[in-house]
Amino acid sequence: MRSRTTSLLVLPGLALLVLGFLIPSLAMLFSPPGTETGEIFVRLGEMITDPYELRIIGRTVAIGLVVVVVSITLGFPIAYLLARSQSRWAGVLLALAIFPLLLSNVVRTFGWLVILGSNGVIGQLLTGLGVLEEAPQLLYTELAIVLGLTQLFLPLAIISCYSAVSQVDAGLDDAARGLGASRTRTFWDVVVPLSLPGLVVAATLVFAGSVTAYTTPYLLGGSSQRMLSTQLFSYSSVTIDWAGASATAMIMTFLVFLVSGLSSLAARRGATS
Amino acid sequence: MKTSRPVAGTLAVAGYIIMIVPILFVVATAFSAGSTLKFPPDGLSLRWFGEALSYDPFLESLVTSLQLAVASTAIALLLGVPATIAIHRGRLPGKNIVESLFLSPLIVPELVVGLALFQQLVITYNLENASVLLIGHTALLLPYAVRVTGASLANADPSLEEAARGLGASPLRTFVTVTLPILRPGLFSAALLGFVTSFNNVPLSLLLQSRDARTLPVTMLDYVQQSYDPMVAATSTLILGATVVIAIIAERTLGFAKIFGGINR
Repeated sequence: MRSRTTSLLVLPGLALLVLGFLIPSLAMLFSPPGTETGEIFVRLGEMITDPYELRIIGRTVAIGLVVVVVSITLGFPIAYLLARSQSRWAGVLLALAIFPLLLSNVVRTFGWLVILGSNGVIGQLLTGLGVLEEAPQLLYTELAIVLGLTQLFLPLAIISCYSAVSQVDAGLDDAARGLGASRTRTFWDVVVPLSLPGLVVAATLVFAGSVTAYTTPYLLGGSSQRMLSTQLFSYSSVTIDWAGASATAMIMTFLVFLVSGLSSLAARRGATS
Repeated sequence: MKTSRPVAGTLAVAGYIIMIVPILFVVATAFSAGSTLKFPPDGLSLRWFGEALSYDPFLESLVTSLQLAVASTAIALLLGVPATIAIHRGRLPGKNIVESLFLSPLIVPELVVGLALFQQLVITYNLENASVLLIGHTALLLPYAVRVTGASLANADPSLEEAARGLGASPLRTFVTVTLPILRPGLFSAALLGFVTSFNNVPLSLLLQSRDARTLPVTMLDYVQQSYDPMVAATSTLILGATVVIAIIAERTLGFAKIFGGINR
């Protein structure tokens, strides 16, 4: 193809991206409507010194990290067992782990209302058995958000770990076992180190997903357990505070870029060492 | 496999419980005869399915969601596929930069994109919510269109197209008889992924909503806030059923794990 034809093929898509995504995104970060130049940076400065805002940022980061740890602790064993299994059920179980990715987040998260709500399964069970007089407050807690986000992002963790573990030659496991290493030692000294790049990818995806998710903190955290996402929506659609919304968006974007940057740095280190 | 590795087996079971059990409870409460969301439900009935299917806001927003998903997927493919061909087969200056531009909507949080489009296009330039929603969803789907169809092209040998041209086929004929068949599985995957991604999207649809541009997931979230009855559970069960059908179609045609998990088995 000649280079002029080639450019014509790319142009319409590029136009949409530049006008419908790039320019608005940059403009929002620097000049929200009705604000003076630089106002957003003043706002950003106020935000990262305000105790209430800091608690929201802290909660978002902390929940993100906890969800990463839980998702990998549960997801890596699933990936490992599925990748090493000879059973014909492994394919079905893998499909079952990927299927939730297709399903609406609203549908997936709604189930926790039935489980954790005041008339929910756990509350009814505990009061019914006489363990507690009154159903415990489980909904609108950080625990509820962690459970919901883990449910949401486990499939991503499993897929990343699965690709990594399948690339580790099963012969290496056998070799380590043959040389007298226990199953546990083989797992920690052979399988885990060799799957590390996949683990880094999984951790990055899960963290970025958790600190930007909206549906889960909205349904399971409510207004008492605000995260950056629910705070951003409140600024943009309830209080109509454009500078506040843009500053929150900046913090959220910074967190995601920081973690992606660290992870590609780690990947490069891993590749050269 | 569970008996020989007790710790890994236990963790794996816990993982599956967290992923799957909440979905089962949604289905169970959908068949409730009572009017509050509780478990075990007060009796069994199909009452809430009837209510959901005759509740106008859900029906109207379902139509909006379907139209938006079909339109944004179609536009994303129409813009994305020519770009993919140019990136993989043409002599394009700054090829890598162009490709990363097409993938860039993936790295910015969707909520941030939604806010940007709302502030800059709806508020500042006074564009209609419905058109901005379409622009936003299309931008969101472009990376899938470019990446998934690109994978089909990257796996195929470019010399096939050169051979067709060398044998005297016109560029159009080469495209229709050689390139298009190579692209077909990628197109199919990208269309399925795009449709599902747009239909399920919350962040963009939430920030760009207006009275006549509200999607089903956003309407469901609003409804949960106002009333605590099993109608959302019934609607969710219907969505679950439709999603299972899509998953089965995907499995029968190309392999489910390959399309949605990016796993080559």
